[in-house]
Amino acid sequence: MPTTEQNIPKISKELCNRLLQDLERAKRPVLYATKCSLDNSIYNHKVGYLTPGSKKVATELNVSSVKKMSRAIFMLEILLRNIDTGAVNTKRELYYISKGYIKHDSTMKPLDFADQNESDEIIDFICEMLECYREEVNCYANDRGGQTYSQQLVVTETLPDGDQAVVDLSKLGTTPFQPKNRPQNLSLSARKKIDFCLIVESEGTANTLVANGFTKRHNCILMGAQGVPSNAVRGWCKLIQDQLRVPLYFFGDLDAYTMQNIYRTLKAGSAASLIRNSDYSAPDVRFLGVLPEDIKKYDLNDYPVKENDAQEVRALKKATDALKNDPFFQDKKNKGLAQILRWLLENKRRCEQQAYFTVDPRDVTMPEKIIVEKIRRGDYV
Amino acid sequence: MAKQASNNKITTSSTAEYFSKNLQQVGFSSQTKAVLTTLKEAVDNALDACEEHGILPEVSVVIQKVGSGSLKNSDQVRIRVEDNGPGIATEDVPKVFGEYLASSKFGRGRCSRGQQGIGISAATTWAQLTSAVGAKVISRTQSMRKALSCTVEVDIKNNKGILKEKEMIDWDRPHGTSVEFLVDGRIQLNGEAGLLNYLNGTTLVNPHLKLHYQVPEMEKQTIDRVSQDIPAVPEAVEPHPHTMKLGEFIAHSHLFGRVKVEGWLKKGFSRIHEGVLTDLVKSGLPRSLLDKQVDSLKEAEFKQLFVAIQNEKLMAPSTKSVLSIGEESMAKSIKRLGAVDFFAVVSRKPTICDFKPVQIEVAVARLEDKHIESESSVQVLRFANRVPLQFDKSACAIVHAIESVNWRSYGITQPKNSLPQGPYIIAVSVVSPFIKFKNASKETIDGSDELVEEIRRALIQAGQKLSKHIRREVKANELEEKIRHIEQFGPILVQGLCRITEAPEARKKRAEEGLLKLLGRDAHVTQQELEDAHAKLEAHLKTTDLTEANI
Repeated sequence: MPTTEQNIPKISKELCNRLLQDLERAKRPVLYATKCSLDNSIYNHKVGYLTPGSKKVATELNVSSVKKMSRAIFMLEILLRNIDTGAVNTKRELYYISKGYIKHDSTMKPLDFADQNESDEIIDFICEMLECYREEVNCYANDRGGQTYSQQLVVTETLPDGDQAVVDLSKLGTTPFQPKNRPQNLSLSARKKIDFCLIVESEGTANTLVANGFTKRHNCILMGAQGVPSNAVRGWCKLIQDQLRVPLYFFGDLDAYTMQNIYRTLKAGSAASLIRNSDYSAPDVRFLGVLPEDIKKYDLNDYPVKENDAQEVRALKKATDALKNDPFFQDKKNKGLAQILRWLLENKRRCEQQAYFTVDPRDVTMPEKIIVEKIRRGDYV
Repeated sequence: MAKQASNNKITTSSTAEYFSKNLQQVGFSSQTKAVLTTLKEAVDNALDACEEHGILPEVSVVIQKVGSGSLKNSDQVRIRVEDNGPGIATEDVPKVFGEYLASSKFGRGRCSRGQQGIGISAATTWAQLTSAVGAKVISRTQSMRKALSCTVEVDIKNNKGILKEKEMIDWDRPHGTSVEFLVDGRIQLNGEAGLLNYLNGTTLVNPHLKLHYQVPEMEKQTIDRVSQDIPAVPEAVEPHPHTMKLGEFIAHSHLFGRVKVEGWLKKGFSRIHEGVLTDLVKSGLPRSLLDKQVDSLKEAEFKQLFVAIQNEKLMAPSTKSVLSIGEESMAKSIKRLGAVDFFAVVSRKPTICDFKPVQIEVAVARLEDKHIESESSVQVLRFANRVPLQFDKSACAIVHAIESVNWRSYGITQPKNSLPQGPYIIAVSVVSPFIKFKNASKETIDGSDELVEEIRRALIQAGQKLSKHIRREVKANELEEKIRHIEQFGPILVQGLCRITEAPEARKKRAEEGLLKLLGRDAHVTQQELEDAHAKLEAHLKTTDLTEANI
């Protein structure tokens, strides 16, 4: 049975029951979790995102794992209680909640977490056991990224008590709409036909485009991704894709990090989040730029990759691996994207999204013009 | 120029004058060091004398604070060392205690503690300079009816010892020497540079020593000997030509008078024999040179001969001249240091480092007293020719070698590139007739890469032996930890599961029993591992017999 929010309590109880039964028979219980890594990732362009393969990680109860398992059951109890009452918490809050329980019951003392890393690890372990993501057990991260602007979009949010809130983005002025970590409660509609959705890597550049009137001149949704997309951004993009059926374009830096860690995650999810990629990826997103050929076409300022910058060197190394092992870049549908990676590896140069501002320094709308022209001409991958 | 030179008259000064002005060079650089060095020189002499004459040494040490000293912030300290050695003939007493560079051991190429004959005279000088009294000596040889009692002072201008208050007294022992110094200084008992560290170290590397000592704030102590064997000090071997310089080479020839060069080379040096001489001639040395008389050789001829020998490939010097303590004696001796959990001793075979024979011996012990902070460095005991070295640790070859070993792999904590930590003693003894010290006060061994590597190897062997004990202990801790785990987490896990599944009490009980069975099986496996480790250790101990023991 696939894990959904509604049946988590049921699945948990079944799991505990199985553990208990095994123990009653003095049989060693074994827990299986999906292996979340690239070597267990499958990509099919018809599906559109990375899905888990058949590999599982088995954890057997023994002297060394009894502590981890006791802690997991203890934390699971807290999470189930949250699901029951509808309460939500961050990981840090859960750490303190567990401390509180232990404080009031001295028999629990051995379970005490020394620091938050330990309790985080247990929460992740529970998610792997139940094959769910932490939002499904009411454990949220703070909302980050995804600030959205539009003159046409209307968002309807269903609140936990059943009430509905309607947000008309055209009424917000230059204030962005912030999507939630759990976009499942939102439904979208358009006051007027929306032509496209533009996702800009840099939050700042997204702000600039809006301030200069991008959303006034075009019927669109404009969103700042704020670097590596959070769950909120990823779920939000999927929602826009599924409910509005508008073309989505990603505009970001031309470098290996953006291509693999930001764009690929947005489009097809990541190996670490294999379980939730189905809900957190938007396979229709296209890569608008910066494209390698744009450098020549618009005479953009690019520069060589710094050999002593650890992050960039790591990204290039990862790109080499990705071309060999990553099913996403190996798929023939994504040949164009793989080619960009190859170009980056060969030339060891990078070009930032802000380079569009060099094209005509006196015209503040120049980047906007280029972006729109590229969309019109189909100049994307 | 000539006129200027005549104004600044060039004078010569005696050796005694030099040292009396530079006592810091020979170990009198601070007040605490002065007390320690005086004690050390007296004990060294006592032990050397006993060994030389085949006597099992019994040494009594008394250190007392008498009053305040003449120097600022100093005490007047009495240091008395008495031995049962052969005694010193009356005419030798002033030479031994009052004359610099008067030695029976100088340049003999033997592994004796003292080498040059500076130390004890320097102690007399220090006493004389700070308390205006020389060394009080009582000595009796086997052939004397009564003992000589006197005070020795150094005639600094002429580097001569002067006997004062000389009288013959009755002494209740057949032979021996007692020497007493009254010096200004400060008594430091504890710590690396402390007197107790010196006394403990000395007993460790001298298993045949019986030591009585009385120091302030402590009862009188007696440490019995653990070995009845007097170490046979190996006879000196002839020098190896490759360890000499041209000047020494020429000076060496003067000892032989009128003999043929060939005979001198063969008799006066080790590793030169007929074959070597033939090879020398083959490689261009005129045969006629070998047939000449040594005393008729000109400087150029000496040089020609010397260079030819230096270029010749010779066998490394013999290692017969080094003296070892032995693993067995060291094993017995280490128990005299205090309560020891377990230890390992390693006695390397004598070897050649930098063309000099040397032997390294190592003892590593874990102290029972675990209150010693586990984050403090181990105690390092360094010995050169069985004399403890207590100062300037960081510059010493021994410490470099200890730091270069990866102790973590033997289960001992060690921060990167530093001494390991914990309640351990690491004792390293370097024995060689030619130890290269960094200074005249013999405080640190100058380390060549070769010597450091040799010490390192000994330490690694000791570490490997020790790790067997540590591993067994780790296994025991693991077992304890696992059993504790079961007791702690088992019930909590079952309770949690029962709460979530709302299971009845009967299920809970069954699950608890089942869990205990499961984890008990795990514990049993660990117990088995522990027993295996134990058995391995036992087997290891049997093969190494006495050299190592689990106390």
